[in-house]
Amino acid sequence: MALAAHFNLILLRLRLQLRNSYYRSPYVSSVNSPFNLSKITIINATRIRRLQLGCYYCVSNSHSYTSSSSSSSSHLDAKSYLQLSDGELMKQCEMSTFKASGPGGQHRNKRESAVRLKHLPTGVIAQAVEDRSQHKNRASALRRLRTLLALKVRNPVDVDAYSPPLELLQILPLKSTVRGAESGPQIGPNNPKFVLGMQALIDLIFAVEGSISEAAKILGLSTGALSRLILSDDSLRMAVNDLRASKDLKPLK
Amino acid sequence: MKLGLTRACFGCRPICYTTSLPSSTLNKPQIPIFLRPPAYSATSLDLRKWHEWAKGLAVSVGSSFADADNGPDTNLLCRELNWLLQDSLEDPKHDIRQSNESLMLRTSLDDLYHLWKQRIEQRRPFQYIVGCEHWRDLVLSVQEGVLIPRPETELIVDMAFDEISKNESLGQGLWADMGTGSGALAIGIGRTLGTRGRVIATDLSPVAVSVTTYNVSRYGLQDVIEVKQGSWFEPLKGFEGKFAGIVSNPPYIPSEHIPKLQAEVGRHEPTLALDGGVGGMDYLIHLCSGAATMLRGGGFFMFETNGEEQCKLIIDFMKNELAGRFCNLNAVPDFSDIQRFVTGVRR
Repeated sequence: MALAAHFNLILLRLRLQLRNSYYRSPYVSSVNSPFNLSKITIINATRIRRLQLGCYYCVSNSHSYTSSSSSSSSHLDAKSYLQLSDGELMKQCEMSTFKASGPGGQHRNKRESAVRLKHLPTGVIAQAVEDRSQHKNRASALRRLRTLLALKVRNPVDVDAYSPPLELLQILPLKSTVRGAESGPQIGPNNPKFVLGMQALIDLIFAVEGSISEAAKILGLSTGALSRLILSDDSLRMAVNDLRASKDLKPLK
Repeated sequence: MKLGLTRACFGCRPICYTTSLPSSTLNKPQIPIFLRPPAYSATSLDLRKWHEWAKGLAVSVGSSFADADNGPDTNLLCRELNWLLQDSLEDPKHDIRQSNESLMLRTSLDDLYHLWKQRIEQRRPFQYIVGCEHWRDLVLSVQEGVLIPRPETELIVDMAFDEISKNESLGQGLWADMGTGSGALAIGIGRTLGTRGRVIATDLSPVAVSVTTYNVSRYGLQDVIEVKQGSWFEPLKGFEGKFAGIVSNPPYIPSEHIPKLQAEVGRHEPTLALDGGVGGMDYLIHLCSGAATMLRGGGFFMFETNGEEQCKLIIDFMKNELAGRFCNLNAVPDFSDIQRFVTGVRR
């Protein structure tokens, strides 16, 4: 309960900040922008019209699939977003509900408790409508936002000096030769920690231009084993296939 | 009090306490469908037939309700239909599309036909049909005679929590929820208070008092929340200057809007909980004056309003008529960006 209340508190603060035009769009280039986006590339997702997640998102105009290799002082990179607590991540979001038409309040019997979260630093939007309570829809939208950030926001990877981060090792099957016993049991798609590993995996596949065999070699797996991992999660599969399509590679099936 | 009762009698649907039953039977709260025992058996084939029939009705509505009075369209009705099914099944996740097995329901198949007919033909609110409303992380029992809590009002609990976290003494103090209805605000706030914090929830309507009492006990808050029947501040005599916080979602719809309300609201919800008099400000003004008397120094109030105009009028009223009594007066928007709440602090 304390957590839920805290979550709400942050929502309210956020709302108040927005009222005061505290935030400016990160896409408006400005020296005062609180977020340095130089290291972050948003996948141009115009072709992925909608992931099968029940979420919609807005698309940045960046067409670039490449990421800057500069490793200078970025305040927040894509991985950091996912490491934020729910409350901290909410602070970076604008929340709105739907059906603003009419006076609302007591005038209406309202069952549309849809919630839409826009992550201001990246423009990624997640939405949830299926639950009866706005409260629960907020929590679902936030979970989806994490997945979408993992799928759409890329961190640069230096392939030559690469060693897989722990969060990636944790989602690999136990037979991976680069995976030590300290990585613990394999984390599956239903574990909230999976998104962090998924993001690192897409970063790597992105860095090797979509080649599953290259990535598999680096991760100490057979191509088949890595393919199976990618196919085990719908959103991961779609993100990888989309990336491959952009490189004129055949989709994994 | 007199005024309120008169309003109740003028309300478009008489509430069922005109008979001479003893009051304990009279105000026995209804149990939401999802909490009833699964005492009815049916086959999944029969349930599918019902579902198809009900869906047909929902489809026939199209956008006609939405066009007429901003009511629900087919999509929303279909979503509600699935929720009704979930609440009625012993196992809400059971897939009725499978084979023809026997399953247990929490309400009879006949009732399901009857209830969905009421939903479509009489526009009876979905929440009264299933007997509950999901609000924040709570599931509150509701029934005819009690206002269905709205999503906007959830924000009052957030604001209360915000104030309490800034000033811990508020969380250990006494709070009031005026016109509590289903008890939503009292329960939401009761769960965020510290160990010594207490809430008094008042309502003029005996149905609201019994429903709130039921909801309070469902959440095990009997020691935190006291429910009192009476008009606004009347049950709080003797507590002048004692309250750390006062919250309310009072009736604020201008009387002139009442005949044109969405059918679910205007035909079924209690006018007593909606009609704020000409201009809609009668009770809000009363609450503002009462807050000046009842709040202790540093005490916090939050009231829901009809929108920007009422917010402005209240802030003006407090600055002029109650000059020097309040500070930090603010209008706060809801998530649809309508100035929905007025907040302030007693000096």
